[in-house]
Amino acid sequence: MSEGRPGTSGQLPLAGLRVVDLAQVFAGPACTRILADLGADVVRFESARRLDVTRNLILTDNDGKDHHWHRASYFVIRNVNKREMCLDLGQEAGRDVIRKLVARADVVVESFTPRVMANFGLDYERLKEIKPDIIMCSLSGYGQHGPMRDYGAYGMGLEPASGISSITGYPGEGPMRSGLSFTDPYSGFVGAGAILTALAYRRRTGKGQYIDLSEQEAAIPIMGAALLAYQMTGRLPERKSARSDWAAPQGCYRCAGDDRWAVISVTSEDEFARMAGAMGHPEWAQDQRFATQAARQQHHDELDELITAWTSQRDHYDVFHTLQRAGVKAAPVLDGKEVLFDPHFKARGQFDIIDQPLLGKRPVQRHLAAKSRRWEAKGRTHAPLLGEHNDEVLRELGYSDEEMASLREQGVIANEPALPVPPALVAMALKLPYERYLEHGILQAVDADYREQLGIAE
Amino acid sequence: MPERALEGLRVVDCSQGIAGPYATKLLADNGALVTKVEPPEGDYTRRLGPFPGGTPDPEQSGLFLHLNTSKRSVTLDLATDAGRGVLRRLLADADVFVTGERTSQLQRLGITYEVLAAEFPDLIVAQVTPFGASGPYADYDGNSLTAMAMSSIMYNTGAPDREPLVTGGEPGEYLAGVHLWIGILAALEARARYGGGDHIDVAMCDAAACADEYNAAMYGFQGAVRRRYYSRHIFGYPNDIMKAQDGYVVVIPGANGFKSPLQPPDVISPMALLLENIELDQDVLFQQMGERMIRWQDFEALVEPYFSTHGAREIVETAQALRLPFAFVPTAADLLADEHLQARRFWEKVPAKSGELTVPGQPFKMSETQPQAGLPPRLGEANDEVLSHV
Repeated sequence: MSEGRPGTSGQLPLAGLRVVDLAQVFAGPACTRILADLGADVVRFESARRLDVTRNLILTDNDGKDHHWHRASYFVIRNVNKREMCLDLGQEAGRDVIRKLVARADVVVESFTPRVMANFGLDYERLKEIKPDIIMCSLSGYGQHGPMRDYGAYGMGLEPASGISSITGYPGEGPMRSGLSFTDPYSGFVGAGAILTALAYRRRTGKGQYIDLSEQEAAIPIMGAALLAYQMTGRLPERKSARSDWAAPQGCYRCAGDDRWAVISVTSEDEFARMAGAMGHPEWAQDQRFATQAARQQHHDELDELITAWTSQRDHYDVFHTLQRAGVKAAPVLDGKEVLFDPHFKARGQFDIIDQPLLGKRPVQRHLAAKSRRWEAKGRTHAPLLGEHNDEVLRELGYSDEEMASLREQGVIANEPALPVPPALVAMALKLPYERYLEHGILQAVDADYREQLGIAE
Repeated sequence: MPERALEGLRVVDCSQGIAGPYATKLLADNGALVTKVEPPEGDYTRRLGPFPGGTPDPEQSGLFLHLNTSKRSVTLDLATDAGRGVLRRLLADADVFVTGERTSQLQRLGITYEVLAAEFPDLIVAQVTPFGASGPYADYDGNSLTAMAMSSIMYNTGAPDREPLVTGGEPGEYLAGVHLWIGILAALEARARYGGGDHIDVAMCDAAACADEYNAAMYGFQGAVRRRYYSRHIFGYPNDIMKAQDGYVVVIPGANGFKSPLQPPDVISPMALLLENIELDQDVLFQQMGERMIRWQDFEALVEPYFSTHGAREIVETAQALRLPFAFVPTAADLLADEHLQARRFWEKVPAKSGELTVPGQPFKMSETQPQAGLPPRLGEANDEVLSHV
């Protein structure tokens, strides 16, 4: 580990902990990123014949020509602080490297479909023979057993599969997903907590164990109240945009400007009176239509019109501050640019500036929100290039230069992808030029001077 | 009872609602002794319900029962000197103190981290708030909705020209709870290694922002700002929920659903096989992702005849057999009846007046120390036991 040992940022909780990271894509890498941020030495793996697919996703400056697998922002933001080997697990010599690493490791994380690790001969029963107190966590869509265990599972299917999408949507219309894969990071975070729980047990007893994490199950509690309401009242919860049984008014309101919005949530009569006052209409608090939460639920549409007449004349940040200073729950609906400039996220360090090879300085979001007085779970070192730490890790395992050369010759380790298709076909940064996304409203803007605006221009 | 991972850990939890109580449920179901300190009127989730038959009863709120399994409850009025005195005695024996109060309120109560650290140097003070213990919005109030608004996730959820949609359920609260739980466990690990307590500070909006898949990255790496576009991914279509004959399915072609330009002409794509029409492979909408994304209405028209005449179960099972990672879109009722979840023994039961209540089970399974939901407490049921001890 180049950094992360006790130093200026304090003693990191997991300094010296060794993690073998066989996870790919989103949920697993989000899990191991938290372990790495907490100081663990995470060595991740990918295969030259089958790169982590996120090395193709959302390429820097939409440019797929030059080593596109080193340019994917999607990969970078989830893999900082880690080391990487590019290793062929299809060869015995490759699996042998894994076994040697496991013999001195504390934790193994993997996110293949359930049969894969057993096919490699790297399932928990076998790894336990090599390292009896190993903690192994398998992250999968539907878990390691049960009738759907072998189902192919992508993040965009698992939020619906957990039930959450059945209560996401506009009134009277069909279910909707979040605008990105929401349960993937959630289950990765849960995985990090599960591993820390197992580490606490190992500290006390010396025993390791196996963790079976199903993303579907991990996410079900998020819609828990709907499950309970169905049992207790026999009614299936409806889709109703941002409205809630527990608050009225509650909604997302149009503000001044192009596609700007703010949310407002009122949960008591006092708070409603404060909102009415802040909007210049203290008389609303005396109006019988709005006197109780039940009454406000009943007249929610009328209330929304009155609120929109006020919000639509104001900037979303103005709505936010005016209402919050009056003691009313509210927030601006921020887009992907605004989060980078918001004073709160700036003050709390939500984005670390990482100097990434080929890409220069880039803002990389935190993956653990917990702030400590003694340590900082932040991005420190760049996301690894393909196979960047092959030699370094093999040397630590005692491989000689000759052995390493032989592994390279046999294609067990590599630094370039063995692409099955020409790079020009894979390099699909975005599928179309920016202009077409802008024309169709899929993108709102593309700022040519974004690095100057962010203060990261070279 | 089999051994559990966190036996011996002692937690005093003054938080209410969802985020803090979910974090301490994850500790309590794993064996920690969690003393839930409630105000005399009880945690406010006791008043939120849902209730059996819709009739309010502080001992029967479904949300409270789910979030407070395996804990004991004492009632204390922290606005009084006596209440705070008892709290201090409890903290003298505790490893972790959890609070959901904003910093300004902790100052009024005289129980800020600084004050507590001076008295209890090994105590871990864990604070979860809408906008953080410090920062420009630290005094502001909020909930799951405000957190999701701040995160950028909401901006991209829903249809263009209509209001952004918030993800269903209470995602911001649960995210904050999970981050608080991780922070507490990390602080305990640091204390075991290096000694000394800590202050863990989780802002609900920070936890939600940590779940952003790529909105901020698209700006930071290419200056592009996504707009809301039917909740679609920027890198692929369809990955959408579509209507089947009797419900909904998630249509996900995955990496190999459509033909690659390098495959020989006689190869038939799994998507064409699923849709029972091999001519579709010749259509530009089956050949070019970019065109498909822009002309999605044409694509929908192309696939509609199949989806509107087949049931969700048949579609998903056929697709999965073709290695297409389609998924179901279950409702609460569907989940409770789901064979897969039952085979995995996912659900847990808690006793309620109306009979047993099925609550979401543990979010992970452990081979040696399986977590398990114990009884949720009646309000103040441990008052005598705890007060006589302190």
